[in-house]
Amino acid sequence: MLELRGIVKRFPGVLANDRVDFSVRPGEVHTLLGENGAGKSTLMKIVYGLYRPDDGDVLVDGRPVEIHRPTDAIALGIGMVHQHFMLVDTLTVAENVAMGMRSSRRPLTDLDVVADRIEELGERFGLPVDPHAVVWQLSVGQRQRVEILKALYREARLLILDEPTAVLTPQEADQLFDTLRAMTADGRGIIFISHKLREVLALSDRITVLRHGRVVGEVDDVGAATRESLAEMMVGRQVKLAPDKDQARPGEPRLRIRGLRVQGDRGVEAVCGVDLDVCSGEILGIAGVSGNGQRELAEAVAGLRRPSGGTVTVDGVELSTASPADTHAAGVRYISESRMREGAIGAFTVAENLLLVDHGDRRFHRRGLFDDRAIEEHCRHLVDQYQVKTPALDTPVESLSGGNIQKLIVARELSARPNVLVASQPTRGVDIGAAEYIHAQLVAERDRGTAVVVISEDLDEVLALADRIAVIYEGRIVDIVERTDANRETLGLMMAGGHPTSR
Amino acid sequence: MRKHTRTMRWLVLGAVLAIAAAACGGSDDSGGGDGGGGETFRIAIVAPSASNDLAFTQSIVDAVNRVKDERGNIEVAVTDGTFVVEDAAAAIRDYASQGYDLVIAHGSQYGGSLQEIAPEFPDTTFAWGTAADTFGLDNVYAYEAASNEGGYVMGVMGAMLSKSKVIGIIGPIEVGDAKLYVDGYAAGVEAEDPGATVNINYTGSFSDVGLASEAAQAQIAAGADVLTGTAQMVVGAVGVAKDKGVLWFGTQSNQTSLAPEIVVASQVYHWEVILDQILDQIAAGKKGGETFKIDLANDGIVIEYNDGFDLPADVKQKAEETIAGIVDGSIDAG
Amino acid sequence: MSQFFSQAILIAAVAGGIRLAVPLLLAALGETYGQRSGVLNLGVDGVMLLGAFGGYFTVLELGNVWLGLVVGVGIGAILGLATAFISVTLGAEQGISGIGVYLFGLGMSDLLFQKLVGTPLPIESFPKVPLPGLSSIPVVGEMLFQHSLVVYAAFLLVPISTFVINRTTFGMNIRAVGENPEAADSVGISVARVRYATVLIGGILAGVAGAALAIDLGIFQQNLTNAQGFIAVALVYFGAWRPLGVMGGALLYGMVNSIVLQLKTLGIIPRSWSDIAAMAPAVITILALVLVARRFRQPAALAKPFVRET
Repeated sequence: MLELRGIVKRFPGVLANDRVDFSVRPGEVHTLLGENGAGKSTLMKIVYGLYRPDDGDVLVDGRPVEIHRPTDAIALGIGMVHQHFMLVDTLTVAENVAMGMRSSRRPLTDLDVVADRIEELGERFGLPVDPHAVVWQLSVGQRQRVEILKALYREARLLILDEPTAVLTPQEADQLFDTLRAMTADGRGIIFISHKLREVLALSDRITVLRHGRVVGEVDDVGAATRESLAEMMVGRQVKLAPDKDQARPGEPRLRIRGLRVQGDRGVEAVCGVDLDVCSGEILGIAGVSGNGQRELAEAVAGLRRPSGGTVTVDGVELSTASPADTHAAGVRYISESRMREGAIGAFTVAENLLLVDHGDRRFHRRGLFDDRAIEEHCRHLVDQYQVKTPALDTPVESLSGGNIQKLIVARELSARPNVLVASQPTRGVDIGAAEYIHAQLVAERDRGTAVVVISEDLDEVLALADRIAVIYEGRIVDIVERTDANRETLGLMMAGGHPTSR
Repeated sequence: MRKHTRTMRWLVLGAVLAIAAAACGGSDDSGGGDGGGGETFRIAIVAPSASNDLAFTQSIVDAVNRVKDERGNIEVAVTDGTFVVEDAAAAIRDYASQGYDLVIAHGSQYGGSLQEIAPEFPDTTFAWGTAADTFGLDNVYAYEAASNEGGYVMGVMGAMLSKSKVIGIIGPIEVGDAKLYVDGYAAGVEAEDPGATVNINYTGSFSDVGLASEAAQAQIAAGADVLTGTAQMVVGAVGVAKDKGVLWFGTQSNQTSLAPEIVVASQVYHWEVILDQILDQIAAGKKGGETFKIDLANDGIVIEYNDGFDLPADVKQKAEETIAGIVDGSIDAG
Repeated sequence: MSQFFSQAILIAAVAGGIRLAVPLLLAALGETYGQRSGVLNLGVDGVMLLGAFGGYFTVLELGNVWLGLVVGVGIGAILGLATAFISVTLGAEQGISGIGVYLFGLGMSDLLFQKLVGTPLPIESFPKVPLPGLSSIPVVGEMLFQHSLVVYAAFLLVPISTFVINRTTFGMNIRAVGENPEAADSVGISVARVRYATVLIGGILAGVAGAALAIDLGIFQQNLTNAQGFIAVALVYFGAWRPLGVMGGALLYGMVNSIVLQLKTLGIIPRSWSDIAAMAPAVITILALVLVARRFRQPAALAKPFVRET
């Protein structure tokens, strides 16, 4: 039903799509797989009329078409669920669905008619949502349903979903997959964009892999593919999806959290009484859907946010009311989830960013001034050791890729040989190769005797790294399980607030 | 970045247009040409409201133009509408540095600025009013109007004409010339008819015409059948008086044209009386240090009756007696 | 104090409050459309001034108050389109470009007045139209139902605007564009067209507000509006972007002003308090509306130009 032939799209300095061929048949899920920047989103924006291709043809039902704007795509029966929802928060579900459509009672709205249709479609495809609810009241999963309903209401025969599971709990993702299967059974085609290999394998009928804007692989027989084989196609070499690691040998507890309460930015309590112990030589994984208090917890431990109650003790020193500098001096290091906002200063150079935290260290000074030689030596060493790909030490950090910035931050924080390390979303937005490297470094840090906390929404990452796993939901730890006892389904259930059954 | 420069370009264009419009509207250079042998005397006026406000600003502009017509060989420049003091200060400084012989800062609110600027331009004479303070500077004249005197006379007339014996006065802010006039008018009413009620309402604004209009409505609701008011915003009140058929007394300029049916008389300022004195002093080499006052005695203040209004003879006679009394000192106008 | 509660004074206070509220209400309703669609137009006062002069001059020359109002509509429409061009097509910084429009209106209205009229001459005002039946209700009839048609029309615009914004597809598009223009664009709503329409409505209503003010006062003067356009913009914020809230704000502002004037006239507010009392309308209105409107959020895309990425 859709065919792309030789699509080329150039941006200044980048060839985003290089002669890409791609097609979708009715009733199939065709996955577009690739790393960040591989050109998946660009290709789909061309299909949806947000970008114009520089070369190549778009065919719908065998006929060449020009798609200048989203309305053209909609008219051709193409719908898109964007990664960032295209919903108006202050409007109701029905209004969002009706938006831009001709009303049967022009110039008045016909929201009751729309609401009936929404309920009908919702029932048919397993997308229950109240048409009269205002969007800001809905959960992320419900909002996604509204996006899909918007497309179905416009009689989309082909639906593009851009990273739809990134914001969902595992249970919500399963529900979404049921919906998508109902849609393919109805003869509709689906383009699924993801880099989560597990779900790609579970859902797809066909897979096309993009790398650097080019098609590098097509998988028609999904049953024969494995996560490893897909990852290899994406990266272009063999990758380890889980780091090699020995059995943890935990020592004494280094980080002790008791009854910790932390206020969020809006003054609501975001962490509501958390108890945790993290020992020397172990990685504690904290799993949870984002926004359940992870950031506040991490910032409280790192000394960046003053708790409203409870204690944080590192190696026997109470730090809950300490300044960031004191926390730092106690050997607590934090890899923040927002690397461009808190982790690095974009306009500063690589060297300056590497020195951002330790610029007061005596090693880097001589007679009251910076010792350029010592600094350069230190930075050169870190850049080499952590494989940060940068043209020079004086390159501004904002011109590096996300993966390299993250490696730089990891290098800076680990070079201080911390006692406690808190890593929040350490590989989000980072390509598989860099993620592999960062994972290995975190494990090495554990083996050096550091108490490591890894906070991640990605269950695969938590399962790959952690020795013990704590699940956080609405500011509370639901349960802590040994890695060996953990299974994906019960963790997923707990992430959605379900209580642990028997273990 | 591209968007930024584009925005800037349009902003600059808009600003230029706006400034051009403001500049054209704000000043009225009736320039007389400098080529006349260098004998031309150059006068600049900086004033808060419009030159044709039928009130305070118009009084000085009209006076300077009368002096110009009489004496000749005078060039006049006007910057009006400078209700923002900083704008006025900039204009005063500009005129001084352009070598104007006399810069008139027509607003008591400009005093602070003048005090700073005047010492920098010892060759220029500055005059400001209404005020009595020359700051001890020998190139600053101050001038004021005994607006209480005209107010008193018209207060006497108002008290005689009022049937309801309720008289309303509308003022801007209780300072300077406005306060003097309002108090004088009230004193006149009191002297003529101690039983009459005088309601005084300061709106709090020199420029809010709508508020002045509603103030007149309020006065009429409170029973007034004779109204007066001072400052440029009263044009709104005159309209209401006309609608409701109550009498009006004007001040600062002749306001008959606003409502010929109901304007009884206006107190008019003839600043040319003191301008003549100032120009003579300058010609004699004295550039300042003195305060002048227009009043009924020196004909700087004149009561102009509306010929179209059928003023009872006894009222007119009483008014003339009152004027004579103030001039000879037998009546104290407060 | 008791004299304040005399019938004549009360009637005058309420009727006066309504008269003072009308120009603000018209301008603020227009601004509400623009702001709901994400365009902040700070040039309202400039449009009002030119509308005021245009209306005044037309009545002065032609003697027909309704023609004056029509000219106000025309001037408002032209300036509305110009504002839309600057804010929407050029995507300029809306706060600063609005000040440009204001300064243009302030200077141009004065320039035209000086050149074309000179000395202020009074003009005819709108005839009062007592509503049959209603106007003969004691007290209330005199307060509410003995105004000009412009006054009734301005208040009629409140429910009409509420209906348009909440119940029509156009209104839904306005709200969508003001909250999330990307989302509206993605379903084929032309953000530019919606914003042109709302800014045009805003311009027309500002022009009408100015013309109505000048014709009602029967006079024009430099800076006649005395910054009422800026008060109107503030009323939109404090009225929480809802026509009813805006009306409440305009009425409150007008009423407090009118009551303060009455209290001053009667000497209930002593003269030494006069200047402080002059600030009461602004202070009371802001306080009241802040208390009411605190829980409302401004349109998320307010003052943000929309540029589709390509």
